Parts: sequence; C-alpha cells; structure tokens
Amino acid sequence: MDAFTYTDIFDTKGIEYIIVIFFLLMIIPVWIILNRPLKLKARVSRAAGALTAAILRVPKGLLFSKNHTWTHMGHSGNARIGVDDLLLHLTGGVEVGFLQEQGTRIRKGDLLAVLQRDGKKLEVTSPITGRVERVNPTLVENPGALKEDPYHSWLYEIEPENWKEETGRFLLAGEASRWIGEELSRFKDFLAATVHGEGQATLEPVLQAGGELIDEPLSEMDQEVWSSFQSAFLTM
Amino acid sequence: MKFLAASLKPHGRIFTVFNMVSVPIMTLGIALIVIRFVKGIGSVTNLTQEVPWGLWIGFDVVTGVAFAGGAYVVTFMVYILNIQKYKPIVRVTVLNGFLAYVFYAGALLLDLGKPWNVINPIIGNSFGVSSVLFLVAWHFLLYMIAQLIEFSPAIAEWIGAKKARKILSGMTLGAVIFGITLSTLHQSGLGALYLMAREKIHPLWYSEFIPILFFVSSIFAGLSMVIFEGSISHRVFFDQLSEKNRTSHDGIIHGLSKICAFTLLIYFTLQVVVFAHGKHWMYLDSRMGLWYLTEMIGFVLVPMILYFFSYRTRNISLVKVSALVTMVGVIINRLNVTVIGFKWDAATHYVPSWMEIVVTLTVLSIEIWIFRWIVRRMPVLRDSPDWAKDTH
Repeated sequence: MDAFTYTDIFDTKGIEYIIVIFFLLMIIPVWIILNRPLKLKARVSRAAGALTAAILRVPKGLLFSKNHTWTHMGHSGNARIGVDDLLLHLTGGVEVGFLQEQGTRIRKGDLLAVLQRDGKKLEVTSPITGRVERVNPTLVENPGALKEDPYHSWLYEIEPENWKEETGRFLLAGEASRWIGEELSRFKDFLAATVHGEGQATLEPVLQAGGELIDEPLSEMDQEVWSSFQSAFLTM
Repeated sequence: MKFLAASLKPHGRIFTVFNMVSVPIMTLGIALIVIRFVKGIGSVTNLTQEVPWGLWIGFDVVTGVAFAGGAYVVTFMVYILNIQKYKPIVRVTVLNGFLAYVFYAGALLLDLGKPWNVINPIIGNSFGVSSVLFLVAWHFLLYMIAQLIEFSPAIAEWIGAKKARKILSGMTLGAVIFGITLSTLHQSGLGALYLMAREKIHPLWYSEFIPILFFVSSIFAGLSMVIFEGSISHRVFFDQLSEKNRTSHDGIIHGLSKICAFTLLIYFTLQVVVFAHGKHWMYLDSRMGLWYLTEMIGFVLVPMILYFFSYRTRNISLVKVSALVTMVGVIINRLNVTVIGFKWDAATHYVPSWMEIVVTLTVLSIEIWIFRWIVRRMPVLRDSPDWAKDTH
C-alpha cells in the first residue's frame, strides 16, 4: 500500500488560484455593498424620517434671502438665483415651471417660477431686481432635476441693477445656517398650527416619536397647506 | 508689457507661514543645486557606485509621477467615460500633473552624471532603445506636451486669445486620449525600470509584476493626491472658486473615495497574489517582513477600509484622512522598491543626506509657488470668461 501523501498547497499554484477565485467571488457583493449606502441612507432617512438641520446643505459662499432663494454673483457680474435645500426637503421632488424669459426685466418680488408636485404649486419670487440673462437650460430640459443639487441647479442668471442695496440684508455662511435651523423650527410650529386648524388630533403623519420631522412633509399635504406655507415662508 | 508686469505683482499676503518656511528652503536648495553642478553629485548626496539612485529618483521621480497620475484618471473619467461630475476639477488636476512632470523630470536632471546627455534618447545621439529609460524619456516629453495642450485653453483665456482658445480647445480631446495612452505605459514603465534589479531588491518588493503594481497604484495615488490637493486649494483659494466648484466639491471628493476604495481592493489582492506566487512566506519572519506587513496592512488595507467606510457614511473628513494615509502608503511602497529595499543586505545602507532632502523640498516648494501663481491669475478654479463658456 502506498504511504499517505499530501500536497502542500503553499508549494503549488493552488493558493494563488484560491486567492483569485475568492477575489472574483467577493467582487460583486463588495461592489453592491459599496453602492448600497447611498440607497440605504435614503431608506434609513425615510424610515427614520428625520428632517433635521444637520442634513441640510447650506453652502457658505451663497447669499440667502428670506423667501428661501439663494443668490450668487459670478465674475461676469451676473447673479445666479436658485431655491434652497430646506425648501426642497420640505416639498420633495418638484418640477420647475419657468415664468420669465431671457431679456425680461424683473423687479424684486416678481414671480420667477413655480414649483409643482402632484397638482400643487408654490411660487418663487425674485430676491433682486435686474434683467434675465439666462434660464438654466439643464432644468428646462429636465425640470425634475432640481432636488438632486439645488445649488448647482440654478434657475435664472440675472444682471442685477441694485445688487448692493438689495442684498445688504441677505444671509451668509454661519448666519444662513442658523437661520435655516430657525426656519425648520418655525416650520414645525407652522405644521402644528395647520394641523390643529384642520381639526386633526395629531401630527403623527409628519412627526416621529421623538418630535423630528419626516423628510418631505409637505408632499402629503394638500394645496391649501401649500398656499399657507407660501404666505408664511416664501413671501418677502 | 503692462500685462506681464501686472501678472508678476504678488497677489495676497506676503508674510504667510508657507512663504516664510519655503523661501529659506528654496534659497538654500538653489545654492545646493549650484554646488551639485559645479562640484559633482557626490558633493551633496550620499549616492555611490553601488547605490546610484537615491532619494531624488525614488521620491521625486518615481513617487512624484505616481501622484501625478490623477491627471490621466480624471481626464479619462470626464472625456472618455463622460462623467461630467468631475469636470470642475479637470483643469486644476491637469495643471498639477503638468507641473509634477515638469519638475520631476527636472529633478531627474539632478541625478544624471552628464545632464546634457538627457537629450540623447530624443535626438538620436545613441537612442538607447534597449533601455526602459528610452520609453520613460519619450513618454515624459510627449506627456508634458499633451498636458500643456490640455491646459492651454486656460492660458488662452487668461491672455484673451479667443481664436487660439478655439483651436486649442479642439485639440483637447486628442491630447487627452494621447495622454491617457502614454500614462498607462510610463506609469508601469517606472516599475519596469527595476525589473533588471532582481538581485538588488528585497524579494518581498521585487517581482515580475512590479510594472502592473505601479500602474494600479498610480490610480489611487493620483486620486488621493487630487483629494488632498483639492481640500487644500478649496480652503486657500476659496475666493477663486467658481460656484460650481464650491458646491460640487464634497460630491466630487465623495465620488473619488469610492474609486480609491475599489482600486485599493484590486491592488491589495494583486499584492497578495504576487506574494503567494513568489512563495515569500519565509521572509515575513524578519525585520523587512515586518516592514512589508506594516506597508500592506497599515497603508493599503487600512486606507482601503477607511475609504470604504467614509464612502458609506459620506464622511468627507474621513475621506481626507484616508487620502493622507494612502499617500503615505504610496510613498512608503515606492521608497521600499527604490531605496529601502534596494541593496537591503549591503554592509552599509544608503541614507539620504540632509542636502538631498533640502533639494527635494526645494523642488516641491518651487512647484507649489508656480501652482499658486497660475491659480491666482488664470481661470483654473474659477469660471472661464463669458466669451469662452459653452465650449470645451
């Protein structure tokens, strides 16, 4: 009878094959896990539902107006205008309807655009006076792209007439962040008042057990609430 | 002339910490470079016949070129894969890559016994076609030209040359494709330089797969440098940043961290396979083995996990830490192959002299000064002028 023999795997190419096979088997689940966090975060945030100031983006270099628009002047002297992240987190994904054309002169407070979702709408007014130089072509082609990046997805480019005077009281950096936090608190109070006004007993649909707002709380509300929100938050 | 004079005027504060540290270093370094050329390389370095390549090659050239790899990776993603998300960082990355190659090719001149012969592979006075250096020389030259073409629209915008800008923009895509093709070869070519040194490099770092490992590591090395440099530029040149750059910065960093995590995984697997293939198990039980494990676990596996984790949690600060650790790992790996693991068993080991270190820092400082000069004047981080917009 032959003596028992064994093959030392470390002495053959066997270990290399095992490593490569292991890598190939692992690569797909690793890629899935690597990509999962973005979806997981959205699911977790929706399940946990927390709309808190911590998740809101407030870029330091933009000027924020109290009608929830931001503005930024570029080197060309034209100012870009958009809506802030808080507004989009409150409404959820919306489609933009542009109301002004290139070349039009607009005044501070004039209607610029409407944000629409499921038949409900909010009106966005201009924070500054000037002439419309450009409408964002990306949003014209894809009106639903606003929520992905509200600070990259500007609405209009305007040549301002009274930049210094009109933007003097706008908010920047830390001030803007604090104001956004305050607006979020004010929105909770607004919701509470709205719900009680409508005779509902509880804010359960829009508040978690810990009192935090769910993301996109306005998305489930009707036009009447949207109109009240318009008056309370988007009017300068 | 007026334009030139205005351009030469300093922008920003003069007495910054960086200026006050770098100016004496550069002054001393330039003096040392003059001494090197007057009195010979032995007067400022610890290089010998046995160890002819030291810190200048190992760090400036081999490591520096790895870090310049961000240019070909980013241009590949933007122009070939059409991932427009990374468009805001193309110019600054190409600028960094161009300066890196110019200065590290320049640093190469310091190491040559007869620097005037550097032109030989180009002009044909003994091409040296059997040497990998022939490939490296041609590639460096051609890649610098390609990067200059890629960056030249910014120069044209700066001087207001509209027609030139149009022509140069039309050449961009061709230069990008050419540059990517060149990069894949010379990144691995730098590793191929050491294939002939089988007996001289420690077995844990020598293998016939050095070129592939160098190429793969150049991907995450370059992107980590993009993250590192981008984070610093974002703070230092905040006033220069276009709105797109400002708002897209975090998203870009986040995206790059995913690519780095995955590439590090591939690299780590390759290293494990190469290790198993070479049957280097017995070397682990030694000082060099411990150092090898430190490099693989501490500076490849750990940053890979950090990148992975930072991508999942969208933690931008952790991404920056991961980038730093990765860069240190790349430096360690390249120095292990070129310096530390080279002639590891010799009676006396090569240790770079303080003068070599000062010259290396000088090269780095001058590069940063020029980078800063360009960024403050040309449309690199800020938007192009209106007349140049909506074109490449």
